[in-house]
Amino acid sequence: MKYASSELTTTYLRSRKIPSTACSGCGLGMNHKIVIQAIQELGLKVEDIVWGTSIGCAGRQTFATWKGDGFAGTHGRVYAIARGLRVALPPEKHLILTVGDGDAFGIGLTHLIHAARSNADMTVIVNDNLGYQSTGGQYGWTTPQGSKTDSSPYGMFEHNLTSEGLDVMHILKGAGATFLARHVSMDGAKAVATVKKAILNRGFSLVHMPYPCPTNFASRELGSRNQVNIYRWIKSHAAPLGKEKADTLWATGVWHDASNSRAEFSQMVWETVDKIRRTGKI
Amino acid sequence: MKRYLETGNFAITEGALLAGCRFFAGYPITPATELAEAMSRRLPQEGGVYLQAEDECAAMHMCIGAALGGFKAMTATSGPGFILYADPYGWALGCETPLVVLNSGRVGPVSGITGAPGQGEFYLTRYPTQGGNFETIVLAPNSAQECMATTVEAFYLAERFRMPVTVLADQLITDGFEDITVPENEDEMKEMGFRVWPRKVHPGPDFYPPTDAIDVPPVVLGHNTGALCSDWTPTEQGYDIEEVEAHHKHAYRLIYKVRNHRDLFKHHYDRKFMSDDPDLIVVSFGTPARVVNTAVAKARSKGMKVGALRLINLWPFPDELFKANAKYLVVELNWDGQLVREVQRAVPKDSKVHFLGICGDLPTQADLLGTFDKILKNEPLARRGWELEAW
Repeated sequence: MKYASSELTTTYLRSRKIPSTACSGCGLGMNHKIVIQAIQELGLKVEDIVWGTSIGCAGRQTFATWKGDGFAGTHGRVYAIARGLRVALPPEKHLILTVGDGDAFGIGLTHLIHAARSNADMTVIVNDNLGYQSTGGQYGWTTPQGSKTDSSPYGMFEHNLTSEGLDVMHILKGAGATFLARHVSMDGAKAVATVKKAILNRGFSLVHMPYPCPTNFASRELGSRNQVNIYRWIKSHAAPLGKEKADTLWATGVWHDASNSRAEFSQMVWETVDKIRRTGKI
Repeated sequence: MKRYLETGNFAITEGALLAGCRFFAGYPITPATELAEAMSRRLPQEGGVYLQAEDECAAMHMCIGAALGGFKAMTATSGPGFILYADPYGWALGCETPLVVLNSGRVGPVSGITGAPGQGEFYLTRYPTQGGNFETIVLAPNSAQECMATTVEAFYLAERFRMPVTVLADQLITDGFEDITVPENEDEMKEMGFRVWPRKVHPGPDFYPPTDAIDVPPVVLGHNTGALCSDWTPTEQGYDIEEVEAHHKHAYRLIYKVRNHRDLFKHHYDRKFMSDDPDLIVVSFGTPARVVNTAVAKARSKGMKVGALRLINLWPFPDELFKANAKYLVVELNWDGQLVREVQRAVPKDSKVHFLGICGDLPTQADLLGTFDKILKNEPLARRGWELEAW
């Protein structure tokens, strides 16, 4: 029996790293597949993409999976690296970054905001496992309030970046991101359609994709490593934008689509350099 | 050749451009700001890119990103910014990415005094990041003209060794105006001893062999070679792997590619009055070496048998220059004594090493001549209020 995913794997991924070494039941593979499928549906080839990753579950498990060129940066700095790389790469190359929630919204938030501000062409996929799970399960900046983790044994009592009317999407929109969306990993084809839009935006795109972590998050918060429980829990706390319920943690869908509305960073840089070279001014 | 009355920062900018640098990212900091400004003016004229970063950590990461995209890149800062390079410096060492870093030292710790020179990062440039298991290459100029030469050389070494190379200057050198000659073509560059190594592209997909080989092209992304680089321990195929044996190969390469090819750059030092086995050798680098040279010449005219050894290649430390069984005096722009510790380690067992530290200022001729005299007469050096131990 041939699975559709095996074609994705053989075309785009390295057999050395797939299947990954992620924990049993980890939802990261769903997010990973969503991105690869979006790439396939756009008809992009291995050489069209340079793939960057960061630290943590999302970074480690997706690094070196892409058949083409790739890098894993230091924790939180991939957005700065990507801006330098963006200027150096030919404009037709897509830059896709698969990172974690701690990387993007914690240690790397300053760099992420400046990547959004400059509207540098990159697609950031934030694979959110609701905290720092690769270090054993500590709370992060998207950990739902009240959740018990190894570093919030009484429940996460701080304000976070995804509740009480505060959302990291607002920050990024204000910073100048031209495409912002959120999906949980079970959103399947809807998420694929969104990621395709994100990749096609010639500018800064970010798709926030919460996914289930049975090993650490679920075992502390739900008291069970049973995958079904955490998958159901995440799904039940997600709702499409505009249809949020009282217990909705993640409003899903396209938050902001200003694709190709602002000049892209590297294009602006090179046009400016060219103008200065020719005329001595901008 | 063209002559200018200009600053060390100007010389570094022109040197970088001559070496093929076409990308600079920085963050304003005294006294390296003028370099960033000069780069922002000159790079676009030469078809290059200047970017201002949100902090020094981002600046160096952006440079590595550009270097991974095939550009020769450079960043510059002072001590308080150099510590923010700790993160990217390690990544560049691990990914073996060519890059040039300039640190214009000011007196510290922390922000200290922005307008006073310092040499407090002698050891920090040796250990700019965590983890160990690497060598660094550091060059220290002592004039505006030499700023240009060491910058060109740093780019050359960075390419051949595929690693970041640091130029350690200080506030007086980078900000001071001096007579500078800029070569205008390749012949003139050769005449001035400038070496240039072009950027090459690693054919991929393999990472680097577990040998001490240099001249292996660095990883460049975007050529669809399947090239990989990461912050983790790589196998020879570039995969991240938690295996001690793979790490041994990685660490061996990072250390011995430098140690085993020191011949390429260990000639970077300067000696004055050293041909007749002087009784006292005065060791220094950077700006204080200029005062030392004058003082040593004066001491010679007074009949004192003193010589001057100025280090340009600071790291890996040139132990071979300290074979003479003589008295040594180390002059540094700090009170805690950094270079002096390495000199103590490198000299013959019976040699006595003395220390003259100046904090935020330069030593005077009287300071130096008085100290030479006392050391040569075996008289104890005057203790100052700040000295906790006599060197």
